[in-house]
Amino acid sequence: MISANRTLMHRPNLVTAVALAIMLPPLVPAAAQYPTEPPAAAPVKPAQFPPFQEARLSNGLRVVLVESRRHPVLSLSLAFPAGDAYDPKGKEGLASLLAQLLTKGAGSRSAEEIAAAIEGVGGSIEAGTSSDFLTVRADLLSSDAPLGFELLGDVVARPTFPDKEVELARTQALSGLQFELSQPASLASRFFAGSLYGPHPYGRRPTPASVRAVARSDVARFHRERIVPTGAMLVVAGDISMAEVTRHAEKAFAGWKGGPAPVLASTVVPARSKTEILLVHRPGSVQSNIVVGNTTFLPANPQFYALTLANRVLGGGADSRLFMILREQKSWTYGAYSGFSRPRGIGAFQATAEVRTEVTDSALVELLSQMRRLGSSAVSAREMEAAKGALVGRFPLTIETADQVAAAVTNARLLGLPSDYLSTYRTKLAAVTSAQLQQSARAYIRPDAALIVVVGDGARLHESLARIAPVRIVNVQGDPMTVADLTPRAATLSIDLSRMVPRTDSLAVMVQGREFGYQKSMLAAAPSGGWLYTEDTRIGPIIEQHTEVVFDRTGAVTAVKQAGKMQGQQMNVDATYANGRVKGSGTTPTPQGMKSVSYDTTTVAGMIDDNAIQAILPALKWAPGAKHVMNVFQSGKGTAITMTAAVAGEEKVTVPAGEFDTYKVEVTGGEQPTTFYLTKDSPHRIMKVTIAGAPIEIVRVK
Amino acid sequence: MRSSSLVTVALASALTAGVASAQAPSKIPLESYTLPNGLKVVLAEDHSSQVVAVNVWYDVGSRNEQPGRTGFAHLFEHMMFQGSENVKKGEHMQLIERAGGNMNGSTWDDRTNYFQVLPSNRLNLGLWLEADRMRSLAVTDSNFHNQRETVKEERRLRVDNQPYAGALRTGIFLPFDSTTCFAYAHEGIGSMADLDAATTEDVRKFFELYYTPNNATLTVVGDFNPAEAKALIQRYFGDIPRGQTPPPVQCRQPFNTGLVRRTVQDAKANLPAVFQFYRIPEYRHEDMPAVELLATILGQGESSRLNRVLARDTKAAVAAQAIANPSGGHRGGPGVFFALAIANQGVGADSIDVLLSQQIARLATEGVTDEELQKARNAYRSSTIRERQRALSLAEAIQQANMYFGTPEAINSDLERYMRVTRDDIRRVASTYLRPENAVILRVVPAGVTQ
Repeated sequence: MISANRTLMHRPNLVTAVALAIMLPPLVPAAAQYPTEPPAAAPVKPAQFPPFQEARLSNGLRVVLVESRRHPVLSLSLAFPAGDAYDPKGKEGLASLLAQLLTKGAGSRSAEEIAAAIEGVGGSIEAGTSSDFLTVRADLLSSDAPLGFELLGDVVARPTFPDKEVELARTQALSGLQFELSQPASLASRFFAGSLYGPHPYGRRPTPASVRAVARSDVARFHRERIVPTGAMLVVAGDISMAEVTRHAEKAFAGWKGGPAPVLASTVVPARSKTEILLVHRPGSVQSNIVVGNTTFLPANPQFYALTLANRVLGGGADSRLFMILREQKSWTYGAYSGFSRPRGIGAFQATAEVRTEVTDSALVELLSQMRRLGSSAVSAREMEAAKGALVGRFPLTIETADQVAAAVTNARLLGLPSDYLSTYRTKLAAVTSAQLQQSARAYIRPDAALIVVVGDGARLHESLARIAPVRIVNVQGDPMTVADLTPRAATLSIDLSRMVPRTDSLAVMVQGREFGYQKSMLAAAPSGGWLYTEDTRIGPIIEQHTEVVFDRTGAVTAVKQAGKMQGQQMNVDATYANGRVKGSGTTPTPQGMKSVSYDTTTVAGMIDDNAIQAILPALKWAPGAKHVMNVFQSGKGTAITMTAAVAGEEKVTVPAGEFDTYKVEVTGGEQPTTFYLTKDSPHRIMKVTIAGAPIEIVRVK
Repeated sequence: MRSSSLVTVALASALTAGVASAQAPSKIPLESYTLPNGLKVVLAEDHSSQVVAVNVWYDVGSRNEQPGRTGFAHLFEHMMFQGSENVKKGEHMQLIERAGGNMNGSTWDDRTNYFQVLPSNRLNLGLWLEADRMRSLAVTDSNFHNQRETVKEERRLRVDNQPYAGALRTGIFLPFDSTTCFAYAHEGIGSMADLDAATTEDVRKFFELYYTPNNATLTVVGDFNPAEAKALIQRYFGDIPRGQTPPPVQCRQPFNTGLVRRTVQDAKANLPAVFQFYRIPEYRHEDMPAVELLATILGQGESSRLNRVLARDTKAAVAAQAIANPSGGHRGGPGVFFALAIANQGVGADSIDVLLSQQIARLATEGVTDEELQKARNAYRSSTIRERQRALSLAEAIQQANMYFGTPEAINSDLERYMRVTRDDIRRVASTYLRPENAVILRVVPAGVTQ
């Protein structure tokens, strides 16, 4: 549709111009025709929001149709108020598992048969969750509408949840979660949500335990109660009429009834009156992940427009203040951004940056100061123009296709926004004044009542962060820590030398039930009177490593040598402990590649090498509730940390070597918490080892 | 057995779909013309949204590079974002971002593309930015040195640091003889040595030869007024001088030159794999639609043969796929059919090679079923239709039709070639091209492991 209000600028018509170009090129100076400045924008066209129709099926299901005959395509999307926030406490991850399982067996089809049917017509079907909603979506050609509706009907009304698919989905969810927990940025985001929302469902996240706690019956029940027509919304976009939609849908959803779903008990979002720092201690981190933010408002709040612009000015793009200052000017980070969420409940504002450890406090002060500046001084006309240009300009790109239009309509409906929300969005954004922006920033970007989460090396960060705001410290599991816990203290580990007995252990490395490598270790008496511990580990083609640790007759480590290969790259450790010092060097893998260090530094009394932990554990005293604090030097990285080994429970484990009663000993404080299962009988022997963030299990063979 | 019921259901649904899916895409109305300086312009007006895509293809890719001068086409793509006479370094992106749009560029074997997607009232900005760099790119020493380092870093990340990427990069050039077809026998990202040896003068010459209006096609798709667009194009591009005609690309590459087997070590890989490469003809060749549908039947999607047999039923592989021309989908010159399988734990490279070869040999001996063929046609039709919904992907499809068939109008007839493919065609192309003597087979072995 060509709008009449565009004015054609005066310029020669094409024929004349072509003629000139051919006949007189040297006589027409380029500058006369060719602009040397970017051309000004033509007027914004009046909002062109495609019309949509609404209907309700006999079972109560709401239907929205965005009819577009431009291309013979169809997209079907069915949304339920059954997102992650509806997960029962202790079973976080349930809604997401259900979404994965809906297309893995439904009606008369198996998972493979559903895939074959949809691929046979060149289409796709998938389901997923956000915090508020579970959505199933199918895309196909419009001539395949009958199959599309049939599959959609089957997966929402008649899923079968085969046991093997439940277990497969759980395994995949656990692998995904393990990966997530090993990423500092994900940790920062989890701790931020958890602390900001407290007991509110938006603050809860899946854990390995909560995913394991989900039974098939939980999935079936959640489905029965919440995947119901009442409260759901079917959104159709493309080459189809409302009459056809209702005919197909009535047939596909015949017999599917139910609802409304049980209402969640309302939970209060904690109020915050002053700024606080939650420091998540991740020893040895060379970078810090910072998240600063606060809760905001419900989705229909008219402040949304001013805050959208404020966010754009602050950190919404690659030309925003945070990016320009923290990255371009200061070179503290690759990127610094801000954003805000707009869920069905109370939303949140946040600014994030990943910075080098040594500039963490400076970057945080700058983040807070930029947040404050937005509320205290007016944004210039130039910046207002740039921000509005980007946001108003982008809107048409977000509703380019019929299915994008449909998604925008659904989102507005599900959030309960006014009916003219989409058609007035650009005008309302364009109407925001600098004064309104400032007022909204003051109210909803709150550097003086913010939650700050910093994931990084607490020992190096605590002092400088404490000058900015009160600091609460936790380890990566979320257990509270004191300042003293951050720094290695002189503490003598109560090694029972009588338990340092010669032994040979043979363990197998298992990956998803398959043997993938081995670990063989030996403790032998050294001729000099101490002990020599040797360990050979091979994990498939990934890791191959040989370690030797020498102990003197008092049980203190005197030397460590390690050589190995990880994914083809050489790793080495060579450290000597003597006279209260450790000297040596190490080369170890980091996410940025191999890193080498050399060191010559003081040690505290009782300090042990991280490569000696497995040798020492069996010689510690173990009983229910036992806890040992260890000052550990990581000789590969050259850093000193405090680790804790504590009995977290008692468990009967079955390994190839037999069935054993064990203490479950969790060793925490490092980057990857590790659990050792030690026989209750003395001398304690290691029966099984699991590592958080790694999909492997090490079990005793003999 | 489970698989028989699966086949039945797949048959049933494919048959139903086969009847229903005989659906044609909407015709794309096109207008094309050439400016006196040789710039080809294609306009496709569509007012269903307020979006416009401005897309330029330069008829230059890694196939145009000469021995000792590899990596230029890609390096040049970087240079195109470093500013021009009236656009400061970094300003291109900033102007587009502040208009609410997005932009990028990419280099393939046969072409280099640049595009911006904008709200339709900013068409003038997209056109002007493309014109400014076509007429006055800043080929300076500092821009060149800086981008050369960026490209080297990109190579380290993309090629040297990803499992199997190095093996794919190596294997895809092996079917071609570098003395008769250097065009497709070298890496697009270039060798480190060639990049280091390049001078600013080399880069400037490359710009002068290939980045001319007579070697480019400008496509505008979406919500615009054609008279206004034409006037803007004339004003911005009309006085850019025509350049020389670049020399044609030479490639003589016979088929069936004898089976080549290699073993490559991959330090980043954890599992052995087998990569098979077969020579296939150029995109406009009459056999190509059958070759592409064959690739879909063999190795695209969960219900493809390779996934069903190698990954799901026998669990010999964790992944198995097939694709024609993995580096960009189409080739103006001779191409490569690529089939791969990554072995499961405990399965060796040789075993997975035998299983993969068996599945490929079956295509020629037993052929494919009507249902498989119909399914592959449906998938092709569906993706063709779906890609036309967005201005940018439609602009790309138009450029592709123009490059490989010499006319953008081919976009309105190309699908027919695929819909006409028969089971006999599939069997014939399988026996013509997927022969051991036409193949290069790589065993990819994790470094440090002997098998």
